[in-house]
Amino acid sequence: MKEEHKEGAHGHVEKYKYGMVIDLDKCTGCGACMVACMTENNVPFRKDESDKLVSTAWMRVFKATNGKSYPDIDVCYFPRPCMHCEGDHGHSPCVSVCPAVATDYDFETGIVSQIPTRCFGCRYCMAACPYHARYFNWWDPVWPDKMEKALSPDVSPRMRGVVEKCTFCFHRFQRARDKAYVEGRREIREDEYQTACTQACPADAITFGDLNNHEHEVYKLKKSPYAFRLLERLGTNPKVYYMSTRSWVRREGDNYLKGEKSK
Amino acid sequence: MDSALIPEGVKRCSFGKFALWIGFWSLLMLWALAGAGVCWLKGLNQTNLNDYFGFGAWITADLAIIALGAGAFFTGFMRYILGIEDFKPIINFVVIIGFICYSSALAILALDIGQPLRGWHIFWHANVHSMLTEVAFCISAYFMVLTIEYIPLVLENRQLDKIPLVHHFSHNLHHIMAVFAATGAFLSFFHQGSLGGVAGVLFGRPFAFRQHFAIWPTTFFLFIFSAIACGPCFTILVTRITELITRKKLVKQNVIVKLAKVSGWLLVGYLLVKTLDTVYWAMVTLPNMGVSFMDMYPESPFTIWILIAELGFCGVIPAIILITEKGRNNNLLLIPAAILTCIGICLNRYVMTVQALALPVMPFDNFVNYIPNWAEWVTSLAPFAYGAILISLSYRYLPVFPQEKELNP
Amino acid sequence: MSLGRRGFLQFCLGAGAGITFSPLPWKLMDDSCIWSQTFRGLPIEVPVPPVGEVNIEKSVCTLCPGGCGISVRKVKNRAVKIEGTEGHPINDGGICILGVAGLYQLYGGARVKSPLKRAGNRGEGKWEEISWSAAISEISKKLSQIRRNGSAHTVACISGKDRGTVPQLFKRLLTAYGSPNFISMPSSEDTERLGLKLMQGEDASVGYDLENARYILSFGSGLIDGWGSPVRVFRANSAWREEAVKGLAKVVQIEPRLSNTAAKADQWVPIAPGTEAALALGLAHVIVKERRYNKDFVMNHCFGFEDWTDNSGKVHKGLKRMVLKDYSPDVVSGITGISASKIVAIAREFTRAKRPLAVCGRGKGSTPEGLQEFMAIYALNALVGNINKTGGVRALPEVRTTAWPAVARDAIAKRGMSQPRFDRAGTKAFPVTESLFNQMHTGKGAYALSALLIDGANPYYTAHDKTAVAEALDSIPFIVSFSSHMDETAQHADFILPSHTNLERYEDVPTPAGLNVPIIGLSRPVVDPEYDTKHVGDIVIALGKSTDGIADSFSWDDYESLLKETMGGKWDTLVREGYWKDESYSPAAWSSGFKTPSGRFEFFATGLYKAGIRSNNDNDYLPRYEPVVLEGTSDSYPLVLIPIETTRLADGAVANSPYLTKTVADTVLRNNDIFVEVNPKTAAAYGLSEGTVAMLKTPTGEAKVRAHLYEGVRPGVVAIPTGLGHSAYDDYLSGKGVNANDVIGTVEDPVSGLDIAWGSRASLVSI
Ligand SMILES: Nc1nc2c(c(=O)[nH]1)N[C@H]1C(S)=C(S)[C@@H](COP(=O)(O)OP(=O)(O)OC[C@H]3O[C@@H](n4cnc5c(=O)[nH]c(N)nc54)[C@H](O)[C@@H]3O)O[C@H]1N2
Ligand code: SF4
Ligand code: SF4
Ligand code: SF4
Ligand code: SF4
Ligand code: SF4
Ligand SMILES: [Mo]
Repeated sequence: MKEEHKEGAHGHVEKYKYGMVIDLDKCTGCGACMVACMTENNVPFRKDESDKLVSTAWMRVFKATNGKSYPDIDVCYFPRPCMHCEGDHGHSPCVSVCPAVATDYDFETGIVSQIPTRCFGCRYCMAACPYHARYFNWWDPVWPDKMEKALSPDVSPRMRGVVEKCTFCFHRFQRARDKAYVEGRREIREDEYQTACTQACPADAITFGDLNNHEHEVYKLKKSPYAFRLLERLGTNPKVYYMSTRSWVRREGDNYLKGEKSK
Repeated sequence: MDSALIPEGVKRCSFGKFALWIGFWSLLMLWALAGAGVCWLKGLNQTNLNDYFGFGAWITADLAIIALGAGAFFTGFMRYILGIEDFKPIINFVVIIGFICYSSALAILALDIGQPLRGWHIFWHANVHSMLTEVAFCISAYFMVLTIEYIPLVLENRQLDKIPLVHHFSHNLHHIMAVFAATGAFLSFFHQGSLGGVAGVLFGRPFAFRQHFAIWPTTFFLFIFSAIACGPCFTILVTRITELITRKKLVKQNVIVKLAKVSGWLLVGYLLVKTLDTVYWAMVTLPNMGVSFMDMYPESPFTIWILIAELGFCGVIPAIILITEKGRNNNLLLIPAAILTCIGICLNRYVMTVQALALPVMPFDNFVNYIPNWAEWVTSLAPFAYGAILISLSYRYLPVFPQEKELNP
Repeated sequence: MSLGRRGFLQFCLGAGAGITFSPLPWKLMDDSCIWSQTFRGLPIEVPVPPVGEVNIEKSVCTLCPGGCGISVRKVKNRAVKIEGTEGHPINDGGICILGVAGLYQLYGGARVKSPLKRAGNRGEGKWEEISWSAAISEISKKLSQIRRNGSAHTVACISGKDRGTVPQLFKRLLTAYGSPNFISMPSSEDTERLGLKLMQGEDASVGYDLENARYILSFGSGLIDGWGSPVRVFRANSAWREEAVKGLAKVVQIEPRLSNTAAKADQWVPIAPGTEAALALGLAHVIVKERRYNKDFVMNHCFGFEDWTDNSGKVHKGLKRMVLKDYSPDVVSGITGISASKIVAIAREFTRAKRPLAVCGRGKGSTPEGLQEFMAIYALNALVGNINKTGGVRALPEVRTTAWPAVARDAIAKRGMSQPRFDRAGTKAFPVTESLFNQMHTGKGAYALSALLIDGANPYYTAHDKTAVAEALDSIPFIVSFSSHMDETAQHADFILPSHTNLERYEDVPTPAGLNVPIIGLSRPVVDPEYDTKHVGDIVIALGKSTDGIADSFSWDDYESLLKETMGGKWDTLVREGYWKDESYSPAAWSSGFKTPSGRFEFFATGLYKAGIRSNNDNDYLPRYEPVVLEGTSDSYPLVLIPIETTRLADGAVANSPYLTKTVADTVLRNNDIFVEVNPKTAAAYGLSEGTVAMLKTPTGEAKVRAHLYEGVRPGVVAIPTGLGHSAYDDYLSGKGVNANDVIGTVEDPVSGLDIAWGSRASLVSI
């Protein structure tokens, strides 16, 4: 059952609300999602990518530890795409600050878009995003040997000097929507639109779908007692949920004062 | 050699000496231009900026310069709008300082954006919700106003003024100057505020985020307040430096003291409001986000001392000096107080940009630090050289200080 | 001339309007938009990928032996994306980091673009391009000459694998030619097959029914770090996670370091490196002592549990007596560093659990474990009676394919094949082992080799003790590489006959290591060859046809027809589905399942005796813990070095692509520096802090490294990532960090002769 198409605060029709649930107990930190994203979205690489402060990975897998010492230490990985923050009625941290509307909140899908050809590289959006989900193109994109052959025509390579980020593989949504329209359908089925990272994940740790649609897996998973979101207390209202049965992991997802109880 | 260009009745150093002086600053400017050149040609990979520090030295320099340049609009505001005639003898000079500050700021902004050729997208695809849009519009408009304010002064050059068309043109501009001053004051209040808003709206950054008052975060008002408190101090400082270098008294003491007094009381007001804001932030805003006040000052260089330096050493101490009769009349106290005030505002602009980004927000994220590289340093400091050149040229060839003849008979 | 206020304003407005409505600003804005997308100070443009008709081609990934089904998205004739195939029995849509980056192997750097003949000195990097016909004829001339000289047996072949039609073709080439020296690169599968042969009497791989197991006791296996068929194990692990939430499954990881596998496990048992067998036997002690074993299986279907008497009346020790006497929890605790109570607790849990399973093969399984270590761990499975049961282990046979015509052996071939193997495998020295790569570089080879063919392997990089390997291989006068890429080994060859990469060719993919059901995959050409390369099978056939006296064994027109013929009735299914799965397979019943001399599952490996291994000590035939004696003394090398294996770095013959390297943390690689992990306690003792540059020394070599402090590694242990430190390939790969194999030596297993070095003694001194 799909919830009624709702009128948003600004009179927009909110048709879908795409989001993710990432099971951190299943995530192995293998990094396949990172590379799946890079190869899907024409993200370039350079000879030395060891400086993580200038290395672009729309999906980045962070490593967290429980802070204890041997042998009580525990480790958990946090795969971090763009959270496609809804904020307060589409007032996501980055969208509201971009002076050129080069990043926008799409009320039809809930996806925070990025328009590289409009972006002029002020990086205000990067300052606004607490998740470090945004990446600046410090260099010209160059592909060695014949690697340009592997570029997908569905996603434009970005030029130097602009910001880019995860788009929830928006081109896949377009592909699915076009297909549905051609077949005379208004709705896109759950399996028709899946992101590249979700599809690749060898551990099936990522689930993607319409958070408002009762029949979609994400709708059920987000209600799990183990589900939480990153930095929820900031009011970013992210559409990426995480799940873990380990309480320290859930606590690691947000900031808490000493003695304060967490989820 | 260039005596025909020098205003009548004033003394200037020899042209050779002047050329040497300008030459020195020009070398620094060339160095800065080289820095700017590589950044424009090769891109921002030539800096130490990175994805964690999208904002760095340049934004700090921009915000600081604009705050320091606030003397221009605020003195104009006091002179033209409030009608305080005391400030008339310094109004030319503050316009020049303002022009230097704002043109520097725009140049640095043009460096700081990744796609300078697309800078105009900010106007063309303007997002009215963005504080940066407001900043861009106001600063550009105000820069035009400053240019218009500066032009008549340039046209008053002895030789230019002889041309009838020029004479009429500048005469006409003078007549409508109050309109521009008023426009400038309005624009400036707004962009100083929206610069504060740039940081204050970042609800993903607990260090920068401030609660809203009406449609603006409190930093909107704090930035205006701190800028108008500090601007006059910067005017005092630049005037005193100019006097030191020219070895002449150029502005009467009463003007300087009055500026100091205004600055002092504004600083007191600012510190009170800033303290209230900080307390609210520490007691309400931060705990709601799950962070404690001390979490915001975790490690060097961002320890609690940076706050103490900003509000204590560079706030309370100069404020006390400036509001006391004896303090502001004693040059040995006044100048350090002015310097401290200016450092204070630079610190404030620094923490609101760089510290705001340096503190990791995700619990599992790392603290990283950032140090600008040569290209950033040299371009950030270039306004000093640029300022020295423009002030020197203006001082030499334009009737900047109406009291100069009187004070140096 | 005078200008009134009115006139002035008119002038300003007029000028403004004039410029605004002229085409000038609009044209400039438009241009700047275009320039800013393409002009960046250098004449480089952002590429615009051409559009075209989209096709999805199904194949099987061969970048590791995992056998995943892949779907390649093509735009016209360009492959633009590799994805896992939905519904494939191994990976069902999932894909690993290496596979998803696979297009770099095709389009990326370091491809060998045509046949090359060495022009300068060995390894100098000077090559001459030659034609295929010239290359084949020169090489076959050389081979013919060696053959004529009566030294056929001195030609050897090193292959990355030994199953499938391509390795079989190489074997056939050697057999027809007259050499027994087909050498496959070592892995834990070697030991496992050996152990299985001894304990169950089957020539088969160990199949682990991970999907159905519910208590997984892993002895250092990197279950989610690339062990077995990586994606398949990831998926099993996710299923365990779902069950574990309900309290229905548990994973216990026994490993000196908190690897990803350990971190995801329900319990991490940080054991002293290399003592896994002792722990297994300690667990066996508790199980036996508390009579927790499966009585039906152990009493009715096992041999060597109780003491037994041979034909001559001599009483032999059984497993029971041995573990009870030698492996009490207290003794084992002293060896492994794990408390006695924990040992007892794990043993009890293991036996109480529904469908328990013990798994072995450290890390990805690239280094074989000792034979008796395998037996010790495998014995746990027997004790709980999970052999050939759901959720247990099983002997997994090869998928049957059409047999090839018998090899025509002339007199030279017969004489050559009657020679002992160069590596002494199958000889009196190592009667049960098939292939011993390490004998090559430890200088123990039976005779000198005169020619070497290398396919699908990169021993100059992947073998322990690089210096020794290089010395040994360099001494062979004639080396031919079939590598698609200019890897370390190809660099040292005399000829490179570049084969198609996996996306350019057909190949059968045999059942991956550890799988629970026999399956065969078909790798297919997805794109036309990018360069002047050939299918390795076609090259072998061509060599066979043109080498003196062996052409009769190579009557196929080409590899493709050979493959079709071999797959026979399965071909159509393979082409349609991409795989053929043996649906009829089920593990044999206990009563008929064991082809050992005793007809039972053997704790006491009488097969060893039968093969000619004679010992008066019964322990030599039983599972047991024999400390691996690492080179060097604890005085000069106070620490123990172990490898860190993760999927983010490929450490085998297929190297990383830049995409993988990009995902590696800056606590593993920073600029060109590699980081080794040490416990903060160890670091403090040796004056190291985060990032300290230090010299890592082992008896095998030394390397400059940086220290990374990590609480997840046992005090006294240094852990080094594998997969870095290439000296070949392109700038995106070479020169980064250190090859862990440079500082790890070799240790010979006394029974199998395999290199079982799981690490090394080491010292770490800050510089
Ligand atoms: N130090 C160390 N040594 C190891 C290992 C380790 O991890 N570390 N792993 C060990 C283990 S378990 C194994 S299985 C082996 C595996 O290592 P390899 O020994 O050799 O096996 P692959 O990685 O499958 O082989 C890839 C090589 O074959 C080429 N290639 C790629 N696709 C194809 C193809 O379709 N056909 C042909 N002919 N060549 C192809 C590549 O260019 C590359 O040269 O190495 C063993 N040795
Ligand atoms: S691919 Fe899946 S398992 Fe691997 S890091 Fe990403 S989310 Fe985790
Ligand atoms: S995660 Fe960052 S980039 Fe993505 S929507 Fe939220 S604030 Fe914007
Ligand atoms: S960098 Fe680009 S997307 Fe980000 S705020 Fe600036 S113009 Fe907008
Ligand atoms: S949703 Fe798409 S764009 Fe976003 S991280 Fe995943 S693969 Fe990348
Ligand atoms: S696990 Fe192996 S077979 Fe599967 S995709 Fe990865 S490299 Fe290819
Ligand atoms: Mo392997």
